[in-house]
Amino acid sequence: MLTPKERLTAALQRAPVDRPPCICPGGMMNMIIEEFMDLSGISWPEAHSDPEKMAGLAASVYESGGFENYGVPFCMTVEAEGFGSPVDLGTKVNEPRVTDYILTSVSDWPRLPRLEANKGRAAAVLDAIRRLKAKDSGVPIIANLTGPISLASSLLEPMVYYRELRSKNEEAHRFMSFITENLIEFGKAQIKAGADVIAVAEPSGTGEILGPRMFKEFTVTYINLLLSGIREAGCGGAIVHICGRLRSIYPGLNDLECDAISFDSITGIRQVRQNVQNKAIMGNVSTYALEKASPAQIRLIAKYCLRNGVNILSPACGIGPRTKLSNIRELVAAAKEQGVPEGNNGH
Amino acid sequence: MELLNQLAESVCEMEVKTTENLTREALSEGINPLEVLNNGLIKGMDKAGKLFEEEEYFVPELLMCSDAMYTGLAILEPELKKVQTVKKGKVVIGVVEGDTHDIGKNIVKMMLETANFEVIDLGRNVPIEQFIDTAVKEEADIIGLSTLMTTTMGGMEQLIQILKEREIRDRFKVLIGGGPISQSFAAGIGADGYGANANDAVRVADNLISEKCEKTA
Repeated sequence: MLTPKERLTAALQRAPVDRPPCICPGGMMNMIIEEFMDLSGISWPEAHSDPEKMAGLAASVYESGGFENYGVPFCMTVEAEGFGSPVDLGTKVNEPRVTDYILTSVSDWPRLPRLEANKGRAAAVLDAIRRLKAKDSGVPIIANLTGPISLASSLLEPMVYYRELRSKNEEAHRFMSFITENLIEFGKAQIKAGADVIAVAEPSGTGEILGPRMFKEFTVTYINLLLSGIREAGCGGAIVHICGRLRSIYPGLNDLECDAISFDSITGIRQVRQNVQNKAIMGNVSTYALEKASPAQIRLIAKYCLRNGVNILSPACGIGPRTKLSNIRELVAAAKEQGVPEGNNGH
Repeated sequence: MELLNQLAESVCEMEVKTTENLTREALSEGINPLEVLNNGLIKGMDKAGKLFEEEEYFVPELLMCSDAMYTGLAILEPELKKVQTVKKGKVVIGVVEGDTHDIGKNIVKMMLETANFEVIDLGRNVPIEQFIDTAVKEEADIIGLSTLMTTTMGGMEQLIQILKEREIRDRFKVLIGGGPISQSFAAGIGADGYGANANDAVRVADNLISEKCEKTA
């Protein structure tokens, strides 16, 4: 039998697996629920900044029969904070968020400090990864990065940012290059600390917001720059999550140099399979259903995703902290029941 | 009129400077400022909204158009104050508590204002009680709620429940929208309207206002 790490790595390479893995990366794709906090005795918001607690809470997910991975951090504010943004770490059930914008225009970027991976919560993330690595448990460690567009739009008011992508196009590109260079350094440090897989979430750089042309010009360009930089450090696989409807951006998605694409529940798996040929498909169990539906309904939805050919079973977005562990266990059980799907051998 | 058509075109083409010049030119030619507004600036923004709906334009383009429109509007404003305009209705709008994604809400707000609604923007991460208290205090016609996250959709249903409990449900029309929201979800929780996109939201708001007027007439 494959270890969870071997299974995920194989699924990401679209190599044969005994069954699809069931994961939730962390970061924007939140994997933590109140029950994990209660079971482990480790809670938000402390676990966002204390490496021992971060690692302990991340490990409790798999150890309590949840998702088949570890994932840190639990939010998408670490990088923004590293650039100097004020962050409210939230509560037990509310995720951290950036409370103020530190730039007023894309052309302000030369004012930004470099993001230092060995300081603040970035350092806590690296320390947590090392602790998880030391467990040597065969469970894959997923390190999360905020996508370049989403990071940029948490440093200045998104409405200003989006219009300046057009009106100050050249400066916007310089700003994005700077942000991406910094993300590469953090990503490489995460790999060096022991991360097996990198997940990049780009909720603000979607086709619905930017349109197909600017999705290519910005989102695809900077995610690819990020991934090629990180791969130098020898990354075992990369997942990219894009929110919203994908219809208009399939050509751009094929250009993304990641191993797996993860997407919202509003987009159909079959449509993605038809239009994205060169990636593992990951998804896409509705997080609303995960929080509200019964375990039996969750089993049906999971089976539906698997039947439609997801290579990796996962929630379609971050899960709500009030989601029940029983529903998450149903997801994992559905994946475990699955043999090798027909027609999915070796392609 | 050719000049106003050019003005509409310049808004839709995101030409801030041209819009500024043409607005001044229209005023100096003695064209009624209300006409400059309606048949120039707003017509251009309507066209931009249509292109947005048709997925020719996206958020960056729409924002550039609104920059052009507001540049023209700033020039018109002193003149417009001399001629009274009646607002179509009052909308209290915001993003449901627990969610801080406000891009969609901001665009809906912009399009509602362009369509001559008075909009009270509560911002993001807004407690349900605040929507209701503001709507009561301001005697709003419509409460507009947006959320991008599935985990905060429940707040919309909660708002309708509280309106019912306080026996003020029929005072307001409830209009909802956002990434995970659908017509069937809106119907399921008993909302009055669902806007699939910003332009659609304006259309639905128009309908809700006429429903409301018919009822009270």
